[in-house]
Amino acid sequence: MSDDIAVGIDLGTSYSAVAISRGDSPPEVLANEWGERTHASVVSFLEDGTVLVGNNAKKNIITNAENTVYSAKRLIGRFYFSDEVKKAQSVMPYQIVEGPNNSVRVQVKNKVLAIPEVSALVLKEMKAIAETALGREVKKAVVTCPAYFNDNQRQATKDAGRIAGLEVLRIINEPTAAALAYGFGKDISQKICVYDLGGGTFDVSILEIGKDVFEVLSTAGDTYLGGDDFDDRIMTWLADDFLQRHGLDLRQNKFCLQMLKEAGEQAKIQVGREGTAQIHVPGICQSPEGDVLDLAQKLNADQFNRMVMDLVQRTFKVCDEALQSARLTAGDIDAVILVGGPTRLPIIRNSVKHYFQQDPMTGIDPDEVVAMGAAIQANALLNVRAAERGQASYLLDVTPLSLRVGTVGGFTEKIIEKNTPIPIEKSKTFTTSRDGQDRVRIRVYQGESNRAEGCELLGEFEFTGFRIGYRGEVQIQVTFEIDSNGIVNVSAADLETGQKTSTTINLSSGLSEQDIRKAIDQNAETALARGRAA
Amino acid sequence: MDPQFLAEVQALAGALDQLDYFGVLKIPQGASPAEIKAAYYRESRAYHPDRFAAAPDPALRETVGRIYRRINEAYTVLRDDRKRTRYQQDVSGPDRMSKLRFTEAEEAAVKEEQKRKMEEQLGQTPNGRKLYATALAEIQAGRWEAAERALKSALMYESANQKFKDQLAAVQKEIEKTRPKGDQFRIK
Repeated sequence: MSDDIAVGIDLGTSYSAVAISRGDSPPEVLANEWGERTHASVVSFLEDGTVLVGNNAKKNIITNAENTVYSAKRLIGRFYFSDEVKKAQSVMPYQIVEGPNNSVRVQVKNKVLAIPEVSALVLKEMKAIAETALGREVKKAVVTCPAYFNDNQRQATKDAGRIAGLEVLRIINEPTAAALAYGFGKDISQKICVYDLGGGTFDVSILEIGKDVFEVLSTAGDTYLGGDDFDDRIMTWLADDFLQRHGLDLRQNKFCLQMLKEAGEQAKIQVGREGTAQIHVPGICQSPEGDVLDLAQKLNADQFNRMVMDLVQRTFKVCDEALQSARLTAGDIDAVILVGGPTRLPIIRNSVKHYFQQDPMTGIDPDEVVAMGAAIQANALLNVRAAERGQASYLLDVTPLSLRVGTVGGFTEKIIEKNTPIPIEKSKTFTTSRDGQDRVRIRVYQGESNRAEGCELLGEFEFTGFRIGYRGEVQIQVTFEIDSNGIVNVSAADLETGQKTSTTINLSSGLSEQDIRKAIDQNAETALARGRAA
Repeated sequence: MDPQFLAEVQALAGALDQLDYFGVLKIPQGASPAEIKAAYYRESRAYHPDRFAAAPDPALRETVGRIYRRINEAYTVLRDDRKRTRYQQDVSGPDRMSKLRFTEAEEAAVKEEQKRKMEEQLGQTPNGRKLYATALAEIQAGRWEAAERALKSALMYESANQKFKDQLAAVQKEIEKTRPKGDQFRIK
């Protein structure tokens, strides 16, 4: 099927982009009707039941705050009790509620949506942009996620794609996609470092490129560190200052908080571009006496750098970790690629230059490179003959986190080490501990801690349908597989008879097949308010 | 797809459980890390599942997936110096057929070995460790007799510790050297 097409989608915390690569032409980012090439990952639910997505929706964060969902990626694939969700609840103007099995839902108007359903609306917009730009239907896509995403988060991202009516050919890691866009068709042999500071996450991947082979040597990251944290620092500074002057805390009001957030982001961008930022928000709030108060401040580069220095340093701790895992030093790196909007900041560029003792690569757009890499991969996956035409590229990626099983007393045992190449499988034998035992339960975790509470729970699997015997007599071989998407599959068989046992998942933050089907229908019914402002 | 390649895939898939990791990567035993990496890249170009993602036959995709997972498994073990050493011993030994895959038991054995070596360096008992540390400090300071005493005491706690014994022998040799020559102890 040579006329089949597939797009690459960078589904970001703050901004998303869609790109296509066809035949021999280089990948191109697709713009919407107004020529915008990146689109705010913001979903605004309008009065008439339609949904507005993108940069226009972003304006609604202030005017239609309760019904406008942003930074959903921070919540995707997380449990309701996690710290990230608690934090989001305190700052987000929209309602975050608990769903079944400790999952997270958002409530807008009278609708309750799972997080993948929200992300699916962003993907639906990307699909619509691509369809308008290409003048044809788009059904297949490669979607990117942070390298440090765990299984729950990847599965949820994949579900989002399905809900949006896309066949997700592959979930690939953002830094890997960036490396692919950089090295594709260049015939180079280099060791490179991808420094990916996004809106909400930070990833570092060290890769070795050998012509058409892209081997990820190691990956490390922090899913709690991103450009938003830089904005937060400016916000805190502005709010503290305002509190001192007027005795009013802007953070107490979610409306003021949004204006403050907007001001913080603008100030960060301006200070990065011009070295100094004038912050002026007229009428941000009213004093108890009824006076309308303005927020006015000046931020210079030195002040800003001091505010965020510890955040910048945290990124290099992660770099240290990635280099150590790859058994390399900063001096072994041939090229450094910067990805993500915040890497435009001079403080990041200078610190990266200092750390690696070389200038980061120029001529790579940090906002678009991930979508372009995803598009290259999408094209390759669609094309059986790519290898014969010399267009093939092979991504040898790794799992970012160790896979573990729970043992007695709240401890865990490592099954697959982090930075192991994927796809991979590994088996472990379990024996029954009671006479006549008819079921075995195991809990699967991802993380680097020996203790279960220090790891992320992926699910509890229950195996039944094996022989029944005295304790220790029946051995069940459980196979753990991590596929090319980084998603974990677990299956089990009776070691002696080879009989496959049936597996059920008891605990999972994800959506059931039934939920997904329902969500697909709902997504299809939801009309996008495209081509107009709020 | 090339029919010759398809035949190769079937043959390899059939033989997978008889091959050791060197066989999977098509390299001789004792290959260098550079050769292992080169072989891994070569096999990845041939069997990477992405090449077959658009292949219409699901059975072929599954077979290639199985082969490639084994290639990754082989590379994971062989790229690690300690695991490779252990694995090479295992597949050269009499239990070759049962040791073709590096399982949790071998993994644990490698870890155990590493731990044992670490402990041997420092001693396995608190007193042994303490005395050994004292001995090392005395050696640093050049007080050979004091070092000898400390090592002998350490050996009282850990009589089988080879590291302690070696160190003691070395120290005694030093003492021998410093003893004045020609002035032998004589009985009058």
